[in-house]
Amino acid sequence: MRHIPTIAGRELGAFFVSPVAYVVLSLYALLAGFFFLSSILQFNEIVIRLQQFQAIEQLQAVNLNDYVISPFLGVMSVVLLFLVPGITMGLFAAEKANGTDELLLTSPITIWDIVLGKYLAAAAFVLLMVALLGLYPGILFLYGDPEIGKTTAGMLALLLTGLLYAAIGAFASSVTANQIIAFVLSFVLLLLLLMLSVIADLGAAGGALGATGTVAELLRYLSTNDHFETMVRGLVDTADLAYYGAMIGSFLILAKAAVESVRWR
Amino acid sequence: MIEARGLTKRYGEIRAVDDVSFEIGAGEVVGFLGPNGAGKTTTMRMLTGYLPPTDGTALVAGHDIFEEPLAARRAIGYLPETPPVYPEMDVQGYLRFAARLRDVPRARLREAVDRALERCRLTEVRRRVIGALSKGYRQRVGLAQAIVHTPPVLILDEPTVGLDPTQIREIRELISNLASSTEGGERHTVILSTHILPEVEAICRRVILIHQGRKVVDAPLAELTAEGQSLEEIFARETARDVVEEAAA
Repeated sequence: MRHIPTIAGRELGAFFVSPVAYVVLSLYALLAGFFFLSSILQFNEIVIRLQQFQAIEQLQAVNLNDYVISPFLGVMSVVLLFLVPGITMGLFAAEKANGTDELLLTSPITIWDIVLGKYLAAAAFVLLMVALLGLYPGILFLYGDPEIGKTTAGMLALLLTGLLYAAIGAFASSVTANQIIAFVLSFVLLLLLLMLSVIADLGAAGGALGATGTVAELLRYLSTNDHFETMVRGLVDTADLAYYGAMIGSFLILAKAAVESVRWR
Repeated sequence: MIEARGLTKRYGEIRAVDDVSFEIGAGEVVGFLGPNGAGKTTTMRMLTGYLPPTDGTALVAGHDIFEEPLAARRAIGYLPETPPVYPEMDVQGYLRFAARLRDVPRARLREAVDRALERCRLTEVRRRVIGALSKGYRQRVGLAQAIVHTPPVLILDEPTVGLDPTQIREIRELISNLASSTEGGERHTVILSTHILPEVEAICRRVILIHQGRKVVDAPLAELTAEGQSLEEIFARETARDVVEEAAA
């Protein structure tokens, strides 16, 4: 276990000497700025309209959390879906392509050291991304009065979603030696995970899966969508936290098995 | 120091390595010979714990590779066929990383890295990025990585392949030095795989020849060449036979 920081440190160093980290971070900041600005402008427009119509009741219901921060975090979680695979694609695939997996696997360290070390590096990067994003709601606190609790819950939801995406990306990288395949595979897996709730909704509307409510329930449970939505609404439920924990754990176990499988062949 | 007991690796029907046993004492320098595809790399990978044998086992410095894999691996310095270097790291950063993976205590890290740099004559390029180094230098970095934790056993897989004659001579000298130098009172035990015969004659005192996954020769070099035969003749004779069919007949 004491080798985890060694592995994680090298991996983080590798992120920042390659252009990947900078490309991902700047794209993320750029998109965040764009979406933040557009949510603010939209909010502004709604407020102006409601004032014109003197709709006092509706005006009172409009707030920064529901009209700016929540939609903004929702969009940024989708952006993570595109960018996190870019961070994780090289975790294991690059080692195999480079032949450096031979160094790791013949060193006196366990496979968990390798997997957790690498995941920790990716997780630290995700944390950095989410922390950067925290600047935008921070601006709102300077000029407005959003609820701190709800905003924090939303940020936590985004962080957990990013951490889950990183675990899935790590798994995708562990099954191939090709970084492009790793990227595409993790992207598809993440999209599928998000879409599960859409499939469940189709079922609920009387589709093929509509007959059995339990299947729809299960799909909805597995999908990140509802857990994220609940938390962004400000409700931090242990059931949702457990979901993220269990999913991250499962994909790390899969990644460990995939790294180990070199030895089964 | 190294004891292989019936090492076997099967890939489906194909036996890449078939029941190979040998014992190598402390301080011995053994040339591991064989044509391409004979099973040299597979055998070395089994000894280093990269691949588990299908059958048989091995002891490295008294540690069974199955029962005490970490202790066995700690005793080995391994240079794979392609040096396992990260192109984006600088030389000393990489060696530091390798030393930490092999449990070199934090207090002795700098000393261990400095020594490996010096022995592989890399001191002047210590701050260079590995990706920008020539192939010969990269090979030396690979070698430095293998010795940074001063392991009792060195396993080198074709350390001179693809190098120019000057570089080959340098690497050979380096290996000879490592083999004859004392490491805490004990000499390195070296297994060197190659199919370059003069290399064996220059460095090794004992030869193990593998052909079609089986051990066909295991003898001191002096004994083999005592009757005036060259190593090349012996190699040609032994690898011309089809040992698998002979065994079946």
